[in-house]
Amino acid sequence: MRVLRWVFQIAVVGAVVGLLLVLIGNVRSNSSELGIPTGYDYLDNPAGFPIADSDFNQRQPVRDAIRIGVINTLRVSLIGIVLATVLGTLIGLARLSQNWLLRNAARVYVEVIRNIPLLLIVIFAYAGIALVLFPRITEPWEPLGIAIISNRGVVVPWHDASGWGIVAVGAVAGVVAWLVARLRRRHADRTGTPARSGLWGGVAFAVVAAAGWLLVGADVTLPELAGRGTTGGIRMSPEFFAILFALVVYTASHIAEIVRGSIQAVPRGQAEAASALALSGFQRSWFVVLPQAFRIAVPPLGNQYLNLTKNSTLGSAVSYFELAQVTSISVANGAPAVPSYLLTLLIFLAISLVLSLVVNVVNRRLALVER
Amino acid sequence: MPRISRNWLTLFAASALLFSACTSDDDDGSAADTAAAGDTAAPADTAPAGEEGGGAAGETLAAVQEADVVRCGTRDDLPGFATVDANGDHVGFDADFCRVIAAAVLGDATKVEFVDVATEDRFTALQSGEIDVLVRNTTWTATRDGTEGVTFLQPTFYDGQGMMVAADSGITDLAGLEGGVVCVAAGTTTEGNVATEFERLGLQVPEIQSFDDVNLLQQAFQEGRCDGWSSDRSQLTGLRSNYPDGPDALVILEGTFSKEPLAPGVRDGDSQWAQAVEWAVFATIQAEEFGITSENVDQEQESDNPSIRGFLGSEVEGDEGAAVLDPGLGLPTDFAFQVISQVGNYGEIYEEHITPLGLDRGTNALWTDGGLLYAPPYR
Repeated sequence: MRVLRWVFQIAVVGAVVGLLLVLIGNVRSNSSELGIPTGYDYLDNPAGFPIADSDFNQRQPVRDAIRIGVINTLRVSLIGIVLATVLGTLIGLARLSQNWLLRNAARVYVEVIRNIPLLLIVIFAYAGIALVLFPRITEPWEPLGIAIISNRGVVVPWHDASGWGIVAVGAVAGVVAWLVARLRRRHADRTGTPARSGLWGGVAFAVVAAAGWLLVGADVTLPELAGRGTTGGIRMSPEFFAILFALVVYTASHIAEIVRGSIQAVPRGQAEAASALALSGFQRSWFVVLPQAFRIAVPPLGNQYLNLTKNSTLGSAVSYFELAQVTSISVANGAPAVPSYLLTLLIFLAISLVLSLVVNVVNRRLALVER
Repeated sequence: MPRISRNWLTLFAASALLFSACTSDDDDGSAADTAAAGDTAAPADTAPAGEEGGGAAGETLAAVQEADVVRCGTRDDLPGFATVDANGDHVGFDADFCRVIAAAVLGDATKVEFVDVATEDRFTALQSGEIDVLVRNTTWTATRDGTEGVTFLQPTFYDGQGMMVAADSGITDLAGLEGGVVCVAAGTTTEGNVATEFERLGLQVPEIQSFDDVNLLQQAFQEGRCDGWSSDRSQLTGLRSNYPDGPDALVILEGTFSKEPLAPGVRDGDSQWAQAVEWAVFATIQAEEFGITSENVDQEQESDNPSIRGFLGSEVEGDEGAAVLDPGLGLPTDFAFQVISQVGNYGEIYEEHITPLGLDRGTNALWTDGGLLYAPPYR
């Protein structure tokens, strides 16, 4: 019986591998017959198309275009993950609020947004918000005189980052903050006073970062109107705004449900015990309920982060040049379709695997140690 | 917005490359038969693997005749060239050339299956055998000839790129667009041309924003997302004539900054099919040169001019037994008659679809009128 099972499994693996080989062979022979290159030499050909919102010009190789696509995918995904987590957590907490209006407003938000196809939200965010609600460049909003908002982008002041100085400052500030937090925790362990390591660490980060920033020059460029565009500052294009807005709004509705569910999954006895120990409402949530809820929430949150990253491909609907759009346009400009899409699939696979690795590590560190 | 799903059509079309050999394995017998027939019809050096990809010599013509329909890759959103009317029929210059090909090959201009393909999917659709011929304002370039697996034929339209701006913008030349934004259709030769032209003129290259969907581009332009809208002049003219705020809200700037020969394309490696399609196009040009129109084609069959009689597939006097000229293109001998009587000559097609846009013949006039249209002799 055991042998039979082995034979069967080997046969299945063999059949799958054989099928793959046949398919790869088909692609190669069909492509070469049509004169379509099957290798990856095309990566060094000139791309033939420019990419908006970047320095990329059409004479640079396809390789560089793909790199910009990856950067744009990561940019919208990482910023989206942070914002969606914040918004989702707030809405999730609002779902559990004692306040009737807040609770039901959050509920309506979740039920409406989560039941709309994401593509529609993306297109609405672009054609219905970014293009229409924002004014034309000829009559922009200039709140406080420091930002310029129009449907050609939102431009805000930015550090005139010309090098690694600002990165180094950030790294130093991060290390100092970590050391301070550690010292506070040690101190707390010795004396029994509250550690408040987050607060101390945050303050330390802010102080060191501000000092370092002044040290490296503190150059800020202010946005200015220049003809039909703007110069200076940092610009968020309407296309980026649309896909980011849609991803955040949509994913937050799912994260809100995860947060609500995780909090409700913490056994009631925990909160009751905390109350019995005369902890205040805040202390009960912050020290007892939320840490346990967080542990429950991590795996499903990780799924949402993966979804958000993969959903960023919908940026192509509004001409945001993330990886899938770059691939699609480079195929239209002469890159062979099969190798191009294969490469894109592999890059997305790599991004997703790294992301789930991070989630798994966090999950393992948070998991209850059971003996 | 159905376009986004079509964006991914490339993937499905690409997967056709994966599976095409599998499907032809199913009818081994008939594939072998066709190859044998091809051997007698033309000295085809068909490799055994060759018959499977849909690109082998003689395969497409036989397949089209077998299916009794020409699958023509086109579009549904470009006024003058190819749009869909209230009855769901494709109308326009490109659509009529699809009909020309059907009339020539199958003797019936209605035997066309119009397949709307997105700009970025068009070559993949051709490569994978989803369409037999691509007539979708496609510019003939060296790179496309070399890497897209497509053979371009006699151009149906000699175009060039231009720039369109809003009439109230105050922009009168390309220099006025410095520091601005130019919107273009994604996946076209237009994208790279804009930057090249600004560099050539020594101007600061504007931001170039490309859109997959021409309707979204139009909306973005209307809302002021961009200052300039660049495309082939014929396209700009068509889009301008259908602009929601009226054609007068837009101005097409003087100057053409690229050569855009729009040509039908077929898969590489099937010269018989390529010749058939190419001569269908030549027939419309030759007919105009002869002065044959859809109105007078019946009388012209009895013409005193032996060249015209030969062209229309009538019996040529003088030959014993009144022979009919068959140049061996694999087309019926009366294909030109079918094309002219059912669709019309080049001038008629142009006047029906392009003239209303406000474009005169220009470079698209016959060579006898100083244009570029020139068909090789039919003899």
